[in-house]
Amino acid sequence: MAGHTGGTSARMSKRRVAGSGSADGDAGTAFWLMAPALTLYAVFTLLPIAATFWLSFNSSAGFNTSARFVGLDNYAKAAQDPIVWKSLVHTFLWLAYHVVMAGGLGLLLALAVSRLRVTQVFFRTAFFLPHLVSLAVVGVIWANIYDPFFGLLNTALTRIGLGAFTRGWLSDPALVLFSVNVASSWQGFGLYMLLFIAGLQNIDHSLYDAAEVDGANAFQKLIYVTLPGLREVTTFVVSLAMINGLKGFATVFVMTNGGPFYQSELITTYIYRLAFQSQDHGLAAVLCILLSLLALAITIVFNRWRARLSQ
Amino acid sequence: MLKFLARTTALAAMIAVSLPAHAETLKMWGPEQITEPLVAQLWNGIKVDFEKANPGVTVEFMPPTGTISNGAVQAAIQSDAGPDVILTNSGIGRISVVKNAKQVVPLTEQYEKRGWKDEIYPWLYTELKGQFGGEIYEVPDGLDALGIWYHKDLFAQAGWKMPATWAEFETLMKAIEETGLQPIAIGPRTPGSAGHLFGNLLQSASGKEVIGKALRREIAFDDPSVAAGAVRLQKLIEAGYIKKEMAGLDLDGASRLWFNKRAAMFVAGPWFTANARKAGYDLANAGYAPMPSDIKGADIPTGGVGWSWLVPVNSKQPELAMKWIDFMLSDAVMKKRAQDPASTMIYPREIPGVEPPTPVLKDIFAAAAGGVGYNPSVYLPGPVLDTYFQVIQGLISGQIGGEDGMKQIQAKMAEAK
Repeated sequence: MAGHTGGTSARMSKRRVAGSGSADGDAGTAFWLMAPALTLYAVFTLLPIAATFWLSFNSSAGFNTSARFVGLDNYAKAAQDPIVWKSLVHTFLWLAYHVVMAGGLGLLLALAVSRLRVTQVFFRTAFFLPHLVSLAVVGVIWANIYDPFFGLLNTALTRIGLGAFTRGWLSDPALVLFSVNVASSWQGFGLYMLLFIAGLQNIDHSLYDAAEVDGANAFQKLIYVTLPGLREVTTFVVSLAMINGLKGFATVFVMTNGGPFYQSELITTYIYRLAFQSQDHGLAAVLCILLSLLALAITIVFNRWRARLSQ
Repeated sequence: MLKFLARTTALAAMIAVSLPAHAETLKMWGPEQITEPLVAQLWNGIKVDFEKANPGVTVEFMPPTGTISNGAVQAAIQSDAGPDVILTNSGIGRISVVKNAKQVVPLTEQYEKRGWKDEIYPWLYTELKGQFGGEIYEVPDGLDALGIWYHKDLFAQAGWKMPATWAEFETLMKAIEETGLQPIAIGPRTPGSAGHLFGNLLQSASGKEVIGKALRREIAFDDPSVAAGAVRLQKLIEAGYIKKEMAGLDLDGASRLWFNKRAAMFVAGPWFTANARKAGYDLANAGYAPMPSDIKGADIPTGGVGWSWLVPVNSKQPELAMKWIDFMLSDAVMKKRAQDPASTMIYPREIPGVEPPTPVLKDIFAAAAGGVGYNPSVYLPGPVLDTYFQVIQGLISGQIGGEDGMKQIQAKMAEAK
């Protein structure tokens, strides 16, 4: 088999060596084959990135002819804008909430569901269903659940005698970001659950048998067998949750529009507000760059952490 | 062969005659409630009348998905696939957003050329001329008149009456609150709803003249004479007459509270008749009164231009868009709309001999007959609006005080100069 493979590659090498012109021809063909994809990438990715940079150095008028070069003014404006800092803090909090709540719930449910034999498919499907609902619709549903006067949550709390716990879930400054994140996490946990279930199925069952022989209880098996066995999936889920967290927009936009009084403002919602409502494209472009840098920084830190974990 | 040629020529001639000379499509955006059957019926009728009056023209309604406030109009124009003419929630604040971004066509010349100047109230024309140094970018379609809506039956049962003074109004709110009802509902998650009540409070506390001066930058917003309304709101929140939880409500949530009679009062304009119809509320039970004030002449609705026609710079049919506006301003269309059960607004000129289709509209027209005050939501410069709405949310959720809030608005006013 090895000889056969070696023979094939030798023949291919010979063919390449036989005519250097044909190697050039391959490269040319490859270029033309890649050209449509490269063009699309340039038009839809590179050009918008370049345009964003260009906009960030221009006045707020956007794409019309009155846009003028203002240097670093927009960057200075962003640094002095308290809402930018507030939304930055909220974005980090949002990310953390999403990783813990959506990822955590995904793990817990995966652990619970994977033990089921007959009803596993039903529960897997049922828990995954919210993921099929668009975030905008999820926002509308949860805004109604949180309605302080007619909402399901406060009504249920009152009915079961926990009226003291009723809240203005979307009006309480200390709660609003968390409340909205619950809605967003509810939509996202199903996917993470499926990933964890797949990870659980890949754990070698003999490890559990060995642990049992050693007298490990359920909790010890979880700590010493299950969680280490899920390490790869966990890092993947965390990275996915962080990406989804950074993209957080729709639920906030629908449920609070960043309020009350900027208490749920994220970088993404502030970008939308600046670009499309105030037409301040310059400042919005600066925040887009800030968000990209944030994503880049998180990716680098996360990858280093993952590399250290796998060593 | 000759026969065949003759037949073909005749057929081609018939097709040519039956086809309009210049098939044109006018893409129109608005109105908001066109998904409501009653509104759709009215607008489809207008469309048919326009098409009859302009052979070869087809009017295409684009999905009514937004306003300038939520960025939808700007996005539609910027996409270059937007409408030829737009009906949108307007006002100088919102118009300045699209005007500054050079997204709409100046229409000043058309006011003279097409006689639009004489189709709207003279005071309205003067006001429009004064907004952008003489240049006009909108043609008013409807005016707003914001005041208190209340349930006639609830008030009658409890023996409540809409009072004349602020002190009495506070007493009324206390009495309502003691019955377990919410005295007044507000949904500040929706910018408009936040501004409706707040504008009423500002005018009630300071009077129309003072608010007008603040909007013209002759007095600072944080001047105590202007900030009084914000301080009033703060006190109403502290007294529990307006619940902090309402900061989490939007217009629909607050309306639901009112329609279900869990709240006694609500601040809205004539357009609320459409919301009431949709909610199945008996409009005969709706009472309307301006916010009480201790200042003489201040107990009038707040308002301003509520809806306007705009022509985007990238309109594919600008001339047809102008014709459409001509048509909308004509006597026939104006009367048709004013008498229609779907009517939800005050028109930009007096329409003699027209009976409002609902009693509450009659009350609103009567309250607004002497003019309306300023709803800052439609007069503030675009860059200030967001802060204005957020400050109202901050006040209602108890995060800031009235004076602090007005300082923040003033700071944005100074920046927007």
